[in-house]
Amino acid sequence: MTKKKNRPGRIDRKLARWGLIFVAPSIAFFSVFSFYPIGMAFYTSLFKKNLLSLKRPDFIGLKNYIYLFGSSDFWNSVEATFVFALGTFLPLLIASLMLAAFIMSISKARRFFQMAYYSPAVISSVVSAAIWLLIFDPRGLGNQWVNAILQTPGIDNRWLADSTMVRLSTMIVYFWKYIGYFVIIFISGLANIPRSMYEAAEIDGATGWAVFWKITFPLLKPTVVLVSIMSMLQCLKTFSTQYLFTQSGAPQGPINVITLNIYNTGIRDFRIGRASAMSIILFSIMLFFTWLQFRTSKSDEVNY
Amino acid sequence: MKKTVLLLLIVLLLLPVGIFAGGQQESVDENSPITLEFWTHEDPNRDALENRYVEEFMAANPGVTINRVTHSSKKIFELVLTAFAANAGPDIFNMQIEQAYSYIINERVAPVDYDAIGYTGAQEMMDQYIDGSMDSVYMNGEVYGIPLELNNWAIYVNKRVFADAGLDAEKDYPRTWEEMADISEKLVLRNGEIITRRGFDFRYPYYLISMVPMVEQLGGQLVSDDGKTAIINDNAWIEFLTFMQEWGPNGRNLGSPTYNNARKLFNMDNNDMAMCLSGLYQAARIRSDNQEFYDSGDWMVIPFPTFENAVKDVANTFYGQYYMVNAQNTDREIEMAWKFTKYMMDHDEEYLKAVNIVPPTKSLMASETFKNMPYSQVFVDDLARAEVVYTAENGAKMEELVKEAVESVMLSGISPVQAHATLKAKAQELLDEM
Repeated sequence: MTKKKNRPGRIDRKLARWGLIFVAPSIAFFSVFSFYPIGMAFYTSLFKKNLLSLKRPDFIGLKNYIYLFGSSDFWNSVEATFVFALGTFLPLLIASLMLAAFIMSISKARRFFQMAYYSPAVISSVVSAAIWLLIFDPRGLGNQWVNAILQTPGIDNRWLADSTMVRLSTMIVYFWKYIGYFVIIFISGLANIPRSMYEAAEIDGATGWAVFWKITFPLLKPTVVLVSIMSMLQCLKTFSTQYLFTQSGAPQGPINVITLNIYNTGIRDFRIGRASAMSIILFSIMLFFTWLQFRTSKSDEVNY
Repeated sequence: MKKTVLLLLIVLLLLPVGIFAGGQQESVDENSPITLEFWTHEDPNRDALENRYVEEFMAANPGVTINRVTHSSKKIFELVLTAFAANAGPDIFNMQIEQAYSYIINERVAPVDYDAIGYTGAQEMMDQYIDGSMDSVYMNGEVYGIPLELNNWAIYVNKRVFADAGLDAEKDYPRTWEEMADISEKLVLRNGEIITRRGFDFRYPYYLISMVPMVEQLGGQLVSDDGKTAIINDNAWIEFLTFMQEWGPNGRNLGSPTYNNARKLFNMDNNDMAMCLSGLYQAARIRSDNQEFYDSGDWMVIPFPTFENAVKDVANTFYGQYYMVNAQNTDREIEMAWKFTKYMMDHDEEYLKAVNIVPPTKSLMASETFKNMPYSQVFVDDLARAEVVYTAENGAKMEELVKEAVESVMLSGISPVQAHATLKAKAQELLDEM
């Protein structure tokens, strides 16, 4: 009797079947373009494999991982990635929220500001890096602007030459490119907060600051989590800016992020097994931070 | 239901294996039409020439179709590599000498079909080319490539910039690296720390081609003759790194890797670049970018300098581009690919005239056409004291390590002694790993 009760009914089974049919294309898509490459990358990471060689690769188990964890070059890449991610992700999150709140607070030229901030996001990463290369040229606009503002004529700020400055330069490019994208997401989040909440707060005599922290921010939390996960993942995956900068003479060490190291190890040095191991480590890092963000965000959910 | 979902998931996850597991080339019937994919780097001057050869060859060989595809010279290396990794490489492609080596040792390219192109064997073919030019594509008694061009670099000088600085280029041009730095000091213009006119600057991405010979002049070596030890002669390396430190923004501030490409500025003749390092082909690029400057006679070419205390007279290394043929093809495709490649390269004199590149055949180097090219003798003389660029499977990584050392002293304030120690340790680790 109990068994019979636990069995799904005909309608449930039918619904489940339709559900399966509807998700099948997505599963197929992710199987081909995500799960299969991840699986293959893990499999390849267990071999000493030369990208060009037709010979059967040697199975070496976890030796690629052991090598990487003992490699100063790899740890330098981990450091470069985290410096970049932290230096970009936090300002990006805070500034895009502030700009979104600013745009929502004005009635005139709202569309103009949305378009103006969003426009860099539609430019390809390679083109945006190329534009900024011109700005960061010693004779480019970067030095001219800074020297004009600081009244320091003739100073070369070494945007691409100095170890610290080249890190800052990559952060500026990324910040400029993605801020508009996240501003738009925050704006859509802000637009979904019911007006009645603000009206009630107004009647209660709440200040603007209190309204933001007691109403806007808590209700915007799902959007904040979404933006923080997306921006952090974007930052961990950064590649084209660093690649183009190093191709144009910038020192590689300070901006040798994991993705750039993967590219150089796999494509330039033909060591696809080791490059795959690096990509699996990066994937694990990204997975961990995504899980952590979900977990911390769920701990203090707010509903009104 | 759960079983159905599980089964469906397994099928979907295995689906890509079925889709992507292929990669074997189909066999081609002996008389069926064949299509050859021919990938090469962009060069507007070469396009017209080679497109014509493609048309002529297809007209003479019905049933053979050749698709000539050009890619950016910066991208072609990785495009060819990824295509080969997927077992879908082009049938004919050209590759720089440093990169070609990996294709040969990994058996991805076919040896030349001597019969098909009219030679009795490897030796007869190699005899057609100048000494040393085929060394990097000759392995185990077989030749794996036909050279498209062979390059060595010398110094291009803009006489107008010298005159603007009160110098006479004909008399005052630098013979040594020390003179190069001193004369650059006289030529350079700055706005505060920012250089607005450079005397000379290096070709920074090419550390193996143009900087290793500077170390060799001082008695150093990148790798020992037996290939087991890296970074030979500590003093030579430290002296070279000290020179580069002095050259950079933390020293005499004469140039830096982050400034614009010197040879492009040189062609424009905008009084911002007095000297640059380039090959014979640069003359054609000056002509194409700035005909007035080309015709003016206000530029000249001087030999690659040496250090005052040089113990070895070495010029800039030479390197080349080689046409190669994919080994994963049918015999007939390989034969036709070599025939077509030979057909193109039989027009060596036309390549020189139209594109200013030098296919290194003995006949071309001895021809009046070559001798009449402006300053060709400077390049010939430098070639006589040049060695081939370092070629090994770890070549690109080795170049990165030298780059790291040079940039660390020029840009990051690292001492030459410390940069040398790091370079030596990393380069040795790289050699040991091979």
